[in-house]
Amino acid sequence: MIDIKKTYKNYVGGKYVRSESGKTYTKELKNEYYELPLTSKKDIRDAVTSSKDGYKKWSSTTPYLRMQILYRLSEMIEGNKESYVDLLMDHGVTKQKANKDIDESIQNIVWFAGLADKWEQLAGNLNPVSEEYFNISHQNPIGVVFSLSGSNVSLNELLMSILPSLTVGCSVISYSEENSILALKFAEDINNSDFPSGSLNILSGKFEKILDDVSKHVEINLVALHKELDNDGLKVIEENASESVKRVFSQPSTEGLSSILPYLETKTVWHPKGT
Amino acid sequence: MNDWEYSESIESAEIVSIKKKYTNYIGGKFLEPKSKKYLNTISPSTENLLAKVPLSNQQDVNSAVNAARIGFETWSKISPSQRSRYLFKIARLIQERSREFAVLESLDGGKPIKESRDFDLPQVAANFFYFAGWADKLDLSWSTKTLKPYGVVGQIIPWNFPLLMLAWKIAPALATGNTVVLKPAESTPLTALLFAEICEQAGLPAGVVNIVTGDGSTGSLIVNHKDINKIAFTGSTQVGKLIQKSLAGREVGLTLELGGKAANIVYEDAAIDQAVEGVVNGIFFNQGHVCCAGSRLLLQESIHDQFISKLEKRMQSLRVGNPLDKNTDIGAINSKEQLDKITNLVNEGLEDGGELFQTQCDLPGNGFWFRPTLFTNVQPSYSIAREEIFGPVLTTLTFRTPEEAVEIANNTEYGLSAGVWTEKGSKILWTADRLDAGVVWANTFNKFDPSSPFGGYKESGFGREGGRHGLLSYLKASS
Repeated sequence: MIDIKKTYKNYVGGKYVRSESGKTYTKELKNEYYELPLTSKKDIRDAVTSSKDGYKKWSSTTPYLRMQILYRLSEMIEGNKESYVDLLMDHGVTKQKANKDIDESIQNIVWFAGLADKWEQLAGNLNPVSEEYFNISHQNPIGVVFSLSGSNVSLNELLMSILPSLTVGCSVISYSEENSILALKFAEDINNSDFPSGSLNILSGKFEKILDDVSKHVEINLVALHKELDNDGLKVIEENASESVKRVFSQPSTEGLSSILPYLETKTVWHPKGT
Repeated sequence: MNDWEYSESIESAEIVSIKKKYTNYIGGKFLEPKSKKYLNTISPSTENLLAKVPLSNQQDVNSAVNAARIGFETWSKISPSQRSRYLFKIARLIQERSREFAVLESLDGGKPIKESRDFDLPQVAANFFYFAGWADKLDLSWSTKTLKPYGVVGQIIPWNFPLLMLAWKIAPALATGNTVVLKPAESTPLTALLFAEICEQAGLPAGVVNIVTGDGSTGSLIVNHKDINKIAFTGSTQVGKLIQKSLAGREVGLTLELGGKAANIVYEDAAIDQAVEGVVNGIFFNQGHVCCAGSRLLLQESIHDQFISKLEKRMQSLRVGNPLDKNTDIGAINSKEQLDKITNLVNEGLEDGGELFQTQCDLPGNGFWFRPTLFTNVQPSYSIAREEIFGPVLTTLTFRTPEEAVEIANNTEYGLSAGVWTEKGSKILWTADRLDAGVVWANTFNKFDPSSPFGGYKESGFGREGGRHGLLSYLKASS
């Protein structure tokens, strides 16, 4: 029975914004009926502008603070667990599975929170060059990441499409189609947390409408696709990406250290030793 | 009684015997091309014909990829420690024949013998030694057992460091359990073909290393081959983009090491004489045919005049000429095509309003040569300040504050390397942190080591070569 109509907005630059196009699309769940923003090309451009600003702030936040902000997020999800479970159940997920999904989500946020101040020790190292030089390889976050979330209705899967890049200091434009109600609800927790504005933008819509714009935008440094696209879609994205040597990862690993490697640029610094 | 005799300053070309005609190396056999077509390779310092090499076609590339597929079956079954020992053996054989390789490199490519002998060849051997030791420690390298080789890797390499680029490609690919089809550059195929003999001498199983020569069309056949699992390319950004586009929608791995336009930042508190040496090495090493060359000199305004005067004086002492002369600093430009490109860009720089300084020296009558060149009074919008020239041409820009230096340095689509010169440690670290570049040389430039990862940010490509990070270019995550 449809009784309440709820309208969500995109979450960009720390604010809830309507799509510039004014367009929405509807999604009907068991108990509720939602209106969601249909993201346009202009919305993507605004999100990128915000993400560039967010990247500056987030990547210069100390690892110690990034860790605490991520950990705080896990506390907030835990506090709102019931409402997430309800929403998942409204999507048709069983109560048991919904509980498990939120528990796993919390566990993964805590895992990545603890990684925020350790990944540099795991992914970088001193290089034993054969002359009298100090030589070290360490990493920078790659910059602005566009991440398409998967099609399963799952907070954990949504998080796994965001956390690896966010943890290392990238700013993220998270885009959801099937998962959009959950994603925009999650935006409320992000808004109440201490993430700097623009570090995580959350948008919804039909990916095919913006696929071309996203893959052509030269200020998006990396596109991560956590959903299997038909081969033509992937081909268009990768062809467009080649124009600016943009990195594209289709269904990247979300496990362990491998999960963060796509989002890192390795920088090697040399200095002579001497008197 | 003193009986000093000077040894001949010209290295003898006799040490290497060059065949009139070469074959491909496929499946452990030296095979004539099915295309029946050949390319000429000349010496850029004399324009004399050195040899004919195969212009490989689709059938040749098919044979090579098939051989590599069969080779992969063999190579996968060999124990990691055995793979390691093959690589150690190759390294040793290269050391033993390094003089031969060095002379051939200078003849075919035009680089000074002191560089091919003292830089390229020692680095080639070092790369095989370094990666030999990784072959049986891959599970330790990134603390995971889920990384697996791609399979058959197509490798396309440039003409600036022909054998060294081969080593950067083949050593890590083999250490990680892949097999390769490698195509050397059209203008410098000979040392790769000599390397095929090393593979044979080392008893490397058939099909593990396959070498096919040709031009861009051959490279394109490798990229578009249906049975290739990964492409590794070093070359221009323009071709890199084409390769990335060709691979769109295909499940083929890719790493790209592309162009650069490195800023070499000299702060007013730098050790000036050392910085002058570093700047000279940064741009004139290997005739400036270096993707990471320090081609944009960024000088703090207060030291501009003093620095330029010292730099011009130092440049005047560079010796340009016969690559086989052990005293030569700057050899031949690699090809007529490259010489034309450099000439055109320098002319554009003059038309734009840049002020030109070139050293005064006699150039040989035949061959391709370009005088060491310095531009001052340059605006950041000039093409000489934006485009990769890939020649002995240095462009000067000025800045007032460290913030401005970083902004100018990063104001390019490239991001391969950068240099910083200052005696103040905190300023080095501050600057290095802010530069979008894969390699930052502080108070040095153009240093390389097999253990040190190399590769770019932004449009300079993706993936790293060398070091522990270089292994990741040849391993993919699989559960």
